[in-house]
Amino acid sequence: MSMKIPLVPENLKPLPRLKENEGMLSWVASVDHKQIGIMYLISTLVFFIIGGLEALVIRIQLAQPEFDFISPEVYNQMFTMHGTTMIFFVVMPFLIGLGVYLVPLMIGARDMAFPRLNALSFWLVIFGGILLYYSFLTQSGPSEVGWFAYAPLSEKPFSLNKGPTYWALGLLATGISSVASGLNNIVTILTMRAKGMTMRRLPLFVWMILVTSFLLVFVIPIIASAFAMMLLDRLLEATFFTPAHGGSAILWQHFFWGFGHPEVYILVLPAFGIISEVIPVFSRKPIFGYSFVAGSTVAIGLLSLGVWAHHMFAVGLGNVANLYFSLASMLIAIPTGVKVLNWVATMWGGKIWFATPMLFATAFIIEFVIAGLTGVAVASVPIDWVVTDSYFVVAHFHYALFGGSLFAIFAGIYYWFPKMTGRMMSETLGKWHFWLTVIGFNMTFFIQHFLGVMGMPRRTYTYHDFPYWGSMNLISTIGAIILALSVIVFAWNIRRSLKHGEKAPDNPWNAWTLEWYTTSPPAVHNFDLVPPVRGRRPLWDLAHPDQLDEPNSKVV
Amino acid sequence: MNIWQVLSSTWNMEPWVLVSALLLLVAYGLGTGFKFTKLSALFISGIILYVLALVSPLDYLGRTYLFSAHMIQHILLLLVVPLLLLLGIPKALAEKALKIEPIGYVMKVLGNPIVAWFLGVGAMWVWHLPSLHDSVLASDNLYIAQQISFVLIGTIFWWPVFAPVETKRLSPLVSTLYLASACLGCTILGMLITFAGAGLYAAYLNPVDTIGILPLIRGELCLTPGVDQQIGGLTMWVPGCLIYLAASMVTIARWYGAEEDYELSNSSTNELVTASQGNK
Repeated sequence: MSMKIPLVPENLKPLPRLKENEGMLSWVASVDHKQIGIMYLISTLVFFIIGGLEALVIRIQLAQPEFDFISPEVYNQMFTMHGTTMIFFVVMPFLIGLGVYLVPLMIGARDMAFPRLNALSFWLVIFGGILLYYSFLTQSGPSEVGWFAYAPLSEKPFSLNKGPTYWALGLLATGISSVASGLNNIVTILTMRAKGMTMRRLPLFVWMILVTSFLLVFVIPIIASAFAMMLLDRLLEATFFTPAHGGSAILWQHFFWGFGHPEVYILVLPAFGIISEVIPVFSRKPIFGYSFVAGSTVAIGLLSLGVWAHHMFAVGLGNVANLYFSLASMLIAIPTGVKVLNWVATMWGGKIWFATPMLFATAFIIEFVIAGLTGVAVASVPIDWVVTDSYFVVAHFHYALFGGSLFAIFAGIYYWFPKMTGRMMSETLGKWHFWLTVIGFNMTFFIQHFLGVMGMPRRTYTYHDFPYWGSMNLISTIGAIILALSVIVFAWNIRRSLKHGEKAPDNPWNAWTLEWYTTSPPAVHNFDLVPPVRGRRPLWDLAHPDQLDEPNSKVV
Repeated sequence: MNIWQVLSSTWNMEPWVLVSALLLLVAYGLGTGFKFTKLSALFISGIILYVLALVSPLDYLGRTYLFSAHMIQHILLLLVVPLLLLLGIPKALAEKALKIEPIGYVMKVLGNPIVAWFLGVGAMWVWHLPSLHDSVLASDNLYIAQQISFVLIGTIFWWPVFAPVETKRLSPLVSTLYLASACLGCTILGMLITFAGAGLYAAYLNPVDTIGILPLIRGELCLTPGVDQQIGGLTMWVPGCLIYLAASMVTIARWYGAEEDYELSNSSTNELVTASQGNK
């Protein structure tokens, strides 16, 4: 704080203050990790609503056979933008933003290691989002080539519109942002921990953010260079990915999935972190097998780097390649599966309190296991050949990313909202939100497994009136509308709780990590002083000096 | 010839393998005073694997017909055998050996993680340069040098992670980085070999069919030069890489299993401490 930027009002009181507004400038020019974190969360909420509306358009178009609610071109734009938005502008920045907000608090620091880099990361995401959505204003509309933009479809002469160019530029900007925030997290976690907060005592959420950050730093450069190559192809007539001129279209797939598979874990590891914080607190027990949860995360991270070719079983890499990647992919199920057992074992015999965060966390386990089961199924080559690019795959990854990541995100929002705002969220509305989400989500996506097995291709604009296809799609669409309702309830809950929510105490859930030690919302400097960290649950140790988690730790 | 006849008739008892194995065993026995422990079981299994990799049909096929056989042998000699040998050395013996001036000095230089990393990954890359590999297949002496270098360099590579003396080891998180980056190096090479067209190593394209098993290999086993090379590349890429990953999991498991080295021990810690500050 020593080098103050002139003219920017400095925050003197805890954030957010809804009544005394110090003006937009205090937000726009902020380098405070809590403000930046909150801005991340708000902007991802906006993108979530946009992406959700796009999904709703898709589902309405598919509600009945041979429907023409929108044109095929618009349909293609919708699924492209839906996928891109949800992955790059909702789940990823949400988890990064939550990390930005929580990591310094959880490790007992006053800010991130590089606060300005942090601000740059955030504004680059916004810049990328604007670039992406600006393509709606171009004559030919946004990209129509799907979220993985396979070459040569994404190349001239197949896509002459400006959409894919904006798409690549926007994602390039967010890619730079992700690498920057990854580095920022790594340095923060390695160098700014409070005394006693050794690497083996890190809260699991922080540990998962650390592993995710390493993944970001390793894999985002792959896709960033691929975007650059794609832009060279599109703008400067290079031919990296055009087979007709000696390039290789498969090369794009390798680059994309070389990034894309680790990306799945970038989207889901911080979610594991949220779950690993919520479940112990609401079961009133320390996490079962801390070291396994932490260690297996490293295994998942490393394995995820080497198995991308399982997205390409149908490409024709050869039987041998398929066999190797099938086996390697199945290996990931082991550390992931045991993690699920860790969470269940934590709940087992605990005094479970089903507040809204815990409801979402519990549902997360169930939905994520379904995603895992279909995941192991499609890791086997013959099954993949049958269902690849069908609605089975759509169902599978929505269970992973919605049932997995988003459920965890909701759990996290309900859990940390009191800390961020100083107000509790409404439990009644929270339960409405939860049940509507569970019903809507399973109604939308479970039935898609069957549609996929029955042969409904992914990304199809419409379909013939085959037996049951119409009614099954209609069920899915009704589910999507229920989901939309649940989002309205959720948004209403946030709005209402911000204004009228019950005042939150510093530690409403009686949790054990350091962020609950400071006030709600946290003081401008987070903590003036941090309590001694003697184990993995510092606040427990503080409250129960006679029952330390690590009684043998030599604390003198 | 059917496949069993091939496997039983292509053993090749090369004297240098048996002599070197025997010398290692004797040296180990002298060092440990011929006492049999768990560690010596590891060391002896390393020696057995070393001999098997070099006298079994794997060796014969790898030198004549199949790149994939060569690759399995390569992974065994570079990654598995040295690891077993290194794990089998008792701490006391290693400490004694390191006190001897030249050994201690050499290991200080070669055991430096940067040197060891480049040697370990470099051995894979350099020996798989296509022209060099073809000359290795043509010359017995070069071949022997290659095999010995695999075991020596493999030992050096594992040293910073699994040195018998704990003080010589990298910290667990740095070890993970060391191994993950090595895995990346081996992945890229594996990828290059897998996706390069058949015939990257010309010798395997049309081997001289001295024992008349080419029809068996190409026909019945469907190991065309392309498939053979793919298996080879993928063996380096996937199982090769998994060895590094498994090793890094071992270091992490060890880390969590070990006692915490409390940073708190010499400060009066019942007081609150100042939060770390960012450099704004």
